[in-house]
Amino acid sequence: MGFLVWLEEGALGIFIRESLWGYPIVLSSHAVGMAIVMGVVIALNLRVLGYAKDISILAFDKLFLIGWIGFIINLISGLILFCNTPTTYFFQGSFILKIASIVLGGILMKVVMNSVRGDTSEGLTKLASFACIACWFGAMITGRLMAYL
Amino acid sequence: MDYDTYAPLASWFEATWLGGQMREQFWMFPMMETIHFIGITFLFGSLLVIDMRVIGFGRFINMNAAMKYIPVAIIAFCVNLLTGLAFLCADPFRYFPNIAFQWKMGLIVIAGINALWFWFGEHKELCQLADGEDAPFRAKVIAALSLAIWIGVIIFGRMIPYVEY
Repeated sequence: MGFLVWLEEGALGIFIRESLWGYPIVLSSHAVGMAIVMGVVIALNLRVLGYAKDISILAFDKLFLIGWIGFIINLISGLILFCNTPTTYFFQGSFILKIASIVLGGILMKVVMNSVRGDTSEGLTKLASFACIACWFGAMITGRLMAYL
Repeated sequence: MDYDTYAPLASWFEATWLGGQMREQFWMFPMMETIHFIGITFLFGSLLVIDMRVIGFGRFINMNAAMKYIPVAIIAFCVNLLTGLAFLCADPFRYFPNIAFQWKMGLIVIAGINALWFWFGEHKELCQLADGEDAPFRAKVIAALSLAIWIGVIIFGRMIPYVEY
């Protein structure tokens, strides 16, 4: 709790609450980053689930790099947004679920890629892929709910 | 925009059944927002596959197969057009005079023209490309514009609540 208060009262917290354009600009970056990360995750999983089969999944590797760029944008913008009211967010159910969904969704993305490169059965790979999309959707739904709950 | 110009149209949108539902059911607005967000990820993800292939960053993606993401992008755009209309009907007098909303709509029209240019000017030729083969410079410009314009659309969309006075 002491850390959360320190974060809230620190320079980032003050910046995001008090500067006129700080919040909307960081929030917009968060939306752009979201479109990049989730865009790559969805395009890739659609392919794994059997759509556009003529694309070699390994050719997606470069796109994966772009997904990581989006993820870093959102990690940074997300941390700044968190400093707005960390003492509230930290205990907010929708926030906790959002972070959990992202962690699980990230792990599942790795599982899907490993299955594709290895010799895991197609059924299991698709199941992991489906669960991965569900997690990232979950992150988006809970993220939006943070504004309402 | 001048109030008298948009007021008749705004009143019409406001009176629609959808507008009423959006205002009366508390869960409608957040649900539509979430669908709108999911829609943009499908749209932007599809564009990333196609445009990054054309730009050359993902040039080992089979060009012909990448084009299969066009229908995904179109469906996602329609989903966002409908959910977007729902927001508009909920509170048209808020959106019409909003400068970020106006810029967003303007950019979407430009993105549409850019997409038509891609389809009628470049699509056929691009489909002939072998895996790893470079696309013509014109096509790369269109692809880069497409990503830049949609990033602009996302930014202006997110700015809508913050430019009200």
